[in-house]
Amino acid sequence: MSDIQQFLLEHDRNKHEASQVAQKSATRLTDGDLKLLKLIEELGEYFNSEDGAIRAKSMAYLAEVLGFVPPKVLSLQQRNLLCDFVLSRTEDGEGIGSCAKALLALEERGKWDSERAQTIMDTFLANTSPLRQYKQQSERYPVLRLIDALLARYRDALSTLHDSQPDFLSRFIAYFDGEKDPRNLMLVFSILRVPMAEWNIGADAQDLFDAVFNYFPITFRPPPDDPYGITAQDLKDRLRECISSTADFAPYAFPALLDKLDSTSMNTKRDVLQTITSSVQEYGPRTTSLYSITLWDALKFEILNVQEEDLAEEALNGLAAIAQTLSKGTSGPLNAYLRPIIKECNEHLEDAPTKQSQAAARIVSKIANVSPDVTNLLLAGILPTMFTLFQSADNMAKRRGLLEVFVELIKANIDVYGDWRATGSAGASAPKGALAQFREQALEVLLHGLETSPANNVSYRLVCVDGLLQLSKVRELLGEDDIGKIIHLLHAIVIHEESFGKDEIKESAINSLVEIAHQKPQVVIDKAFPAFMAQLPDTDEGSKGHVAVLEAFAKLANEEEVFDTVILRLKNKFSAAVSQNASSGYIVALLSAILYALTKGSNKLEQDPNTSTYYQDIVLPLLKRTSSADASHPEAFNDETTLDLVGRICNIVVRSQSTEQQEAIASELYTLFRGTPQAELPPFNTSAPPGTHKTMIVSTHLLASFRRETRLPCEIEFLVSSLVNYTQQPDLSIPVRSASLRQLSLVINKFYSTAALKTCMGPLMEAPFELFHPEKLDPPRIRVIFACLKGILLRSSPVLAKLYPQLLDFLSHPKYGAAIAHGFSTLLQPDDLITKQNHCQVSGLHKQKSFALLVPNITQAFRDASAEMKPNYLIALSGILRWLPFDIVVEEVPSLILLLLQSLDLKGEDFVKEAAIGTLASTLAEKPEVVQEYAGSLISRLLANSVLDKEAPTPARVRAAACRCLMLVPDKLKLEVVLPYRRQVCRKLIAALDDTKREVRSAAVKCRARWLEVDEAGDDD
Amino acid sequence: MDDKQNANPTILSLSDLPSRRRESNVRRRDDGGTGLFDGLIPQYSYLNDPFEQPLSSSDSDDDSVEDIDEQEVYDLISSISDPEHPLSLGSLAVVNLPDIHIQPPSSPHSSISTVVVEITPTITHCSLATVIGLGVRTRLEQALPPRFRVDVRIKKGTHSTDEAVNKQLGDKERVAAALENGTLMGVLRKMLSTCE
Repeated sequence: MSDIQQFLLEHDRNKHEASQVAQKSATRLTDGDLKLLKLIEELGEYFNSEDGAIRAKSMAYLAEVLGFVPPKVLSLQQRNLLCDFVLSRTEDGEGIGSCAKALLALEERGKWDSERAQTIMDTFLANTSPLRQYKQQSERYPVLRLIDALLARYRDALSTLHDSQPDFLSRFIAYFDGEKDPRNLMLVFSILRVPMAEWNIGADAQDLFDAVFNYFPITFRPPPDDPYGITAQDLKDRLRECISSTADFAPYAFPALLDKLDSTSMNTKRDVLQTITSSVQEYGPRTTSLYSITLWDALKFEILNVQEEDLAEEALNGLAAIAQTLSKGTSGPLNAYLRPIIKECNEHLEDAPTKQSQAAARIVSKIANVSPDVTNLLLAGILPTMFTLFQSADNMAKRRGLLEVFVELIKANIDVYGDWRATGSAGASAPKGALAQFREQALEVLLHGLETSPANNVSYRLVCVDGLLQLSKVRELLGEDDIGKIIHLLHAIVIHEESFGKDEIKESAINSLVEIAHQKPQVVIDKAFPAFMAQLPDTDEGSKGHVAVLEAFAKLANEEEVFDTVILRLKNKFSAAVSQNASSGYIVALLSAILYALTKGSNKLEQDPNTSTYYQDIVLPLLKRTSSADASHPEAFNDETTLDLVGRICNIVVRSQSTEQQEAIASELYTLFRGTPQAELPPFNTSAPPGTHKTMIVSTHLLASFRRETRLPCEIEFLVSSLVNYTQQPDLSIPVRSASLRQLSLVINKFYSTAALKTCMGPLMEAPFELFHPEKLDPPRIRVIFACLKGILLRSSPVLAKLYPQLLDFLSHPKYGAAIAHGFSTLLQPDDLITKQNHCQVSGLHKQKSFALLVPNITQAFRDASAEMKPNYLIALSGILRWLPFDIVVEEVPSLILLLLQSLDLKGEDFVKEAAIGTLASTLAEKPEVVQEYAGSLISRLLANSVLDKEAPTPARVRAAACRCLMLVPDKLKLEVVLPYRRQVCRKLIAALDDTKREVRSAAVKCRARWLEVDEAGDDD
Repeated sequence: MDDKQNANPTILSLSDLPSRRRESNVRRRDDGGTGLFDGLIPQYSYLNDPFEQPLSSSDSDDDSVEDIDEQEVYDLISSISDPEHPLSLGSLAVVNLPDIHIQPPSSPHSSISTVVVEITPTITHCSLATVIGLGVRTRLEQALPPRFRVDVRIKKGTHSTDEAVNKQLGDKERVAAALENGTLMGVLRKMLSTCE
């Protein structure tokens, strides 16, 4: 049986088998076993068959064989012959798709000349037009691919064809008429775009336009399991590119689009608006100018009478695009376009604040920054009216509305012309903007408005502050005198004004000062700093106002340009206050301000390794004051929270220093430059004088700041055992004990090598400490255990696998099981000292590691635990879960659900409940199918926790969390699961509506509203 | 597009509307500061000893009762959308804080308080006043505990037929009948969907 016979046989039964046959023929052809002539001869009989299907299949066979033949097997002459042959077959209506495929295969095997390409195009147009006569999509698709390929690779040849045959384009357009398949349309759009964009289309413009616009708007919706992945958006994008491809379409496109803008379908309107925008961008200024006013009249309607927010946004984009395009042309059309806009906006501004005045403001602010010309014209057109309206306005609301627009215009001006530090989009050589003419007037209005309007006019004054800030930023607009006036007014508000309401004005004033400091640092230092300093006494006599001033002053450290000066002034003030015996409150406030400023500038400290001036000027004196016993030791330094502040200040400066610099401090870690031998001080001497214990707090922060390479003042094992010993002293104050325990965590985390870490707990388990001896367990030992573990677990050490089981065993310790259980929440709790900034070793996977070692064992042990011990396991579990991101928990969640639900029944364990509710809420959000089967028990427990129980009151926080979690249930679980509980939930939540706490009531209202909707949604279906 | 009865209403700035958010933050501090420095010591400071804290921490102020007041009622209804505009009743000044009154129980034996809400239509001939009233009423009945009776009416002199509308809003049976109407319920649901 010949190959063709076999192919025909297989073709309808098994496409794959048929391909194999074609492949075989191709191989034989390549190897020379089969001559091309022979192959064609064999085909001859079938090509002449009476049966159209057989003729089509024969062509399919030929196309497949050609597709399989490797390059360079067929000679140029053979390819030419084949081309002619295949082309001649296009006269036959059957197998047109295969003809196209065969030609594509031939083209891949050797480039055609121009003439060949033209013949093919001509022949197809002559023999197969219109394409829609072929009913099968699979027939038309290869033809479209062929034409697409012709246009891609033989563009000049086809263009010549167009130039030489007057009717070519109209035949070409008609050829694609009536195509409906989305896959084919994607090709048609891209084919037609070539003549649109590149050919001189002349009289055919309308036909060409109609050929694509007929498909507007695209309403195609892909079938649910669409294998081709073509979306409506793909089609919309291609169609839009066609419509916007040539300015020749403008006379047809704009009227047609505007006509469709009246559609009631939001989708259509959205398409129209987007198409208008991209058309305007492509058509160029000359064409756009002809339609700009018509477009304005249509688009403004969408903004002034907002239907859908996003439509208004699209319309605004369109208006801005027109302005942008016109800016590229001459000034006349731009003027003509902006004139009616300015007129209309001015009219609407007259009756501000209304819906339409807001819309006008949106229009103005959207367009204003597209180009320097537009900015100038808009400012010149609107500012005069605006100031007139402002002067004659009879109420504050109106004045505010007007100023808001003004602020937007200044911002646009900054976008275009830049601020003091950077030029804007117009570049450095830009001429002065129109704003300059109104400089004096604007400054006066804003200064006057801020200064004289009453304090309760918050929103008005806020606009004034914003306006002044923007005005001061505009490049080369105000002189330093005028900026000085603004600064003066702002700092006067910060320093002298009576507090009012939420103090938004003061806050905005100080934030503005910070921003101005970014632009004009020296003016702020000259004008504002002395005013602030004058308000800060060297010694306070009970007045309280200085904290607010200090807060404001410290905020200025946010700005890099003035950071150093702020620190310097604060430091001097601090020294003066200490030497004048100022009150503790004042000293604490000054220290807080220094710490705040350093925190804000910490980036700067890190980038600049030369922080030794801060060390010499700030850290060293503070440390000496801390440890000294004479007059230089302020009263305030006897307080533990003050020492904590001191420690933090030292930490922030020291931690970015080099190892060498740090070692000078490390040797004084516990002595703090006081000259006493280290051995006589804590933690080495447990009977040290009482006054020396508190400095442990400062030592903790210093220890935290050291690099891992920094040498400690003694052997590490000795330090650890001393600390373990020291922290167990019964008469330590809580802060000192906590600080010392934290030192233990820090030392273990930072200074043990990985190998040493594995055995570091060894000595502590032996006498005299015997940390893990069940009978010696007591609260001080429990604290030490958790402090050590904290240091280890952050490094994800393998030794955890040995340590955690012992800890878990303690959960059923008869006396201290509950205490151990509560300790679990400290393990993964975020910590402010053991951080990467403090050079600690924090493994990225430490949470996963601890979770994997602890949680499965807890759930296991929970099952076996006695009833009175079970709560300990729930407490421990929640202590871990509350710090974990849900994606770590998610895989284990199915085994946790029952434990979580039981946690909600615990009495008096509010943190546990809160954590359980949190995890349940995350589970509902991310993995609702897990909760589905427990819906009833989940809903009833959440309900029970939402309502205040007089017997065992839960905090409002928990009740509100329960309501919020309950609100998720109908969103996440299936309707039929939820519906049976609707009545019960809505009835029981009525009690929560009358909760004593507002927070709970508000959560209950939202939750109940969601549940009330449950059956309403059902009605709709 | 349907013609709007009032196409260009006056709009209040959100920052000027009465709100609890603003008030609750104004806890006067003794030192006159704004609490800027409070954040310096992180929440999870080592200074908190988990073993020393009372294990079940109930909020310190949990005993104090926060009563339902006018502001709370205002917050419940001010975020309802106007049926004509995508704007809230609060920003259109249809509901105003001074027009909300809570009347305590009339006798010591009764526990029933009454919430009176007077609404101000944006124009005096607004035919949607009844719908707005109904929306406010529905919202309050869903969100307030049953010891409150809800009385929604049109503010006197702000509507050409305020008496008739008030009669409709006050008539329980007519309200119940109106809520059976599917189209009307659809409008109400859309209005209430923006509630916070």
